[in-house]
Amino acid sequence: MSNQSPILAPLQTLRESNRTKLVLFTLDNLIWPILLVAFVFFSALLPEIFTQYRNIRFLLYTSAGLGAITLAESICLISGNFDLSVGSVAGFSAMAGALFLTEWAPGAPGVSGILVVLCVGGAIGLLNGVLIAKMGVNPFLQTLSTLIIFEGGILVLSSQSVYGLPESYLWPGEAVISIPVINPIPVAIFIMCGLFVGLWFVLSRTRFGRAVYAVGGNEASAAEAGIATDRVIITVYVISGVLAATGGLLLTGFNGGATPTTGTSQLFPAFTAAVIGGISLFGGRGNVVNTLGGVLLLGTISAGLVMLNIDPTVIQTVNGIVLLAAILLYTVVHQYRERLLSDL
Amino acid sequence: MTVTETNPRIEVAGVQKRFGTVEALSDVSLTLNEGEVLGLVGDNGAGKSTLIKTLVGIHQPDAGEIRFDGEPVTIDGPKHARSMGVGTVYQDLALVDALSVAENLFLGRKPVRKLGGVVPVIDEETMTERAERILRDRLDIKLDPDTPVEYLSGGERQAIAIGRALVTDPDIVLLDEPTSALSKAAVERVEQLVEQLKESGHSVIIIDHNLEEVRSMTDRITVLFQGRTVDTLETEAVSRDDIVSMMVSGKPLADPATAGTGQSSTAQHSPSD
Repeated sequence: MSNQSPILAPLQTLRESNRTKLVLFTLDNLIWPILLVAFVFFSALLPEIFTQYRNIRFLLYTSAGLGAITLAESICLISGNFDLSVGSVAGFSAMAGALFLTEWAPGAPGVSGILVVLCVGGAIGLLNGVLIAKMGVNPFLQTLSTLIIFEGGILVLSSQSVYGLPESYLWPGEAVISIPVINPIPVAIFIMCGLFVGLWFVLSRTRFGRAVYAVGGNEASAAEAGIATDRVIITVYVISGVLAATGGLLLTGFNGGATPTTGTSQLFPAFTAAVIGGISLFGGRGNVVNTLGGVLLLGTISAGLVMLNIDPTVIQTVNGIVLLAAILLYTVVHQYRERLLSDL
Repeated sequence: MTVTETNPRIEVAGVQKRFGTVEALSDVSLTLNEGEVLGLVGDNGAGKSTLIKTLVGIHQPDAGEIRFDGEPVTIDGPKHARSMGVGTVYQDLALVDALSVAENLFLGRKPVRKLGGVVPVIDEETMTERAERILRDRLDIKLDPDTPVEYLSGGERQAIAIGRALVTDPDIVLLDEPTSALSKAAVERVEQLVEQLKESGHSVIIIDHNLEEVRSMTDRITVLFQGRTVDTLETEAVSRDDIVSMMVSGKPLADPATAGTGQSSTAQHSPSD
């Protein structure tokens, strides 16, 4: 944030406005201190083990698929829309790619399977986007129906896991590369970081990205200012579909094969990660980089619980409590923020 | 001072617009001449804002014709209207609260530069610089272009909305209730601004509920009633009561001398707000 307070302003006001800006900056990026606290907490309970490089690397690796799906959810939320179908799009497109390579076109190169995955994801996103933007279907209901259609669709395609996939298809989610100093490290971590940085760049530095925030902040105003809101929303859903499909691909690599449950279980964690990463459900606010913090927080908590030998079935409950705590926290923060702003 | 009849910039002829069963505009005709300020008055629901939104292409007319400089046109949307030299200040201001002053000023037309010669990214520097210039030179207010609009007062928000309409240097400016949320001092600023626009040769349509403001700012006044044009009159030739009478009765003054007598005695609702 640049600070351009007039130089001639009284020193006192200057100091105060800087403090206000710092407070607002902290409030807007609250996820990182929270993540740090969670990490320190588990590190204290699991001395030596939790802070090991191997553990941190595994934590990042397990977050890759969820990370991509969280981004898919986040861009929709920022545009002021909803996407309930991200999980089933991830699972369905990954399954379609796997069947393409094993049954529909056996022997085809793995890369073509990846292309199928991304295209299927994009096509479902296009369907969502067109029906929402052009037909005026409620985003919640629209994506609820695609959630149901494609969750069922996975089972129509295959009720069993598909293994024996080409290496190049699994590569993004599975491969480990050796790099000096930090070697060896899964490719998926780089892909995830690349997606976060890439989407952050698009949303904050391009006309399209700013238009997404404008549409999410106030669709009518954006339209009156001459932004083609329909096109923005359709593009958002296509990107969301492709990102969800990428998540499905990463999860397939992580699991070593496409399973019917891949992806579908990711909707709630993705939603949770986006919300605790500070993405507003009302649209127009939030920074996707912070949702990485949300993803890592969920990862940290579940890794910590597993390593403490706590029953894995508890994890979902804990995630729910984390979400509730986050919602309460952001409600309080929001009210505090309003007060702070009204004082300016 | 009499307004010399010059070329009409905008002509609206028999425009109709219905939303479902509601007829928002049933028969609207008006002319905006070059370099004049035209006031648009009417009771709530008379169709003023709908007309403005039709002029910038947010709504498409169901019937009738809109002519720019004598040429019939179909306006696709605000962007198209802008490219034809029309700047608009909407009644709801059309600001996005979460975005900064600079972003709102350039909403929908941010300057871009090519990153590495290829990737088009927003040229933040140019945007901030131009925003500072608009704030200083055109609006004369001290604001940090990075400030989110949600921090601003009503008058400042209004100024940003007006500033945005002027960013593209339009020669036709449409102002929908530009003073409704303003303090007296801020209203005077808007009046000055309209004066400046007129002096520099702009053509302006202004909607305003405050008839005193309308009378002080405009050259001519068009009265709308339930979606149709009642009449257009020279501001100097018409009294406040005449305007009210037309707004309420929906009938033109039979004869300026005998206005309001006998003509509109049939049961009419009284002027609301």
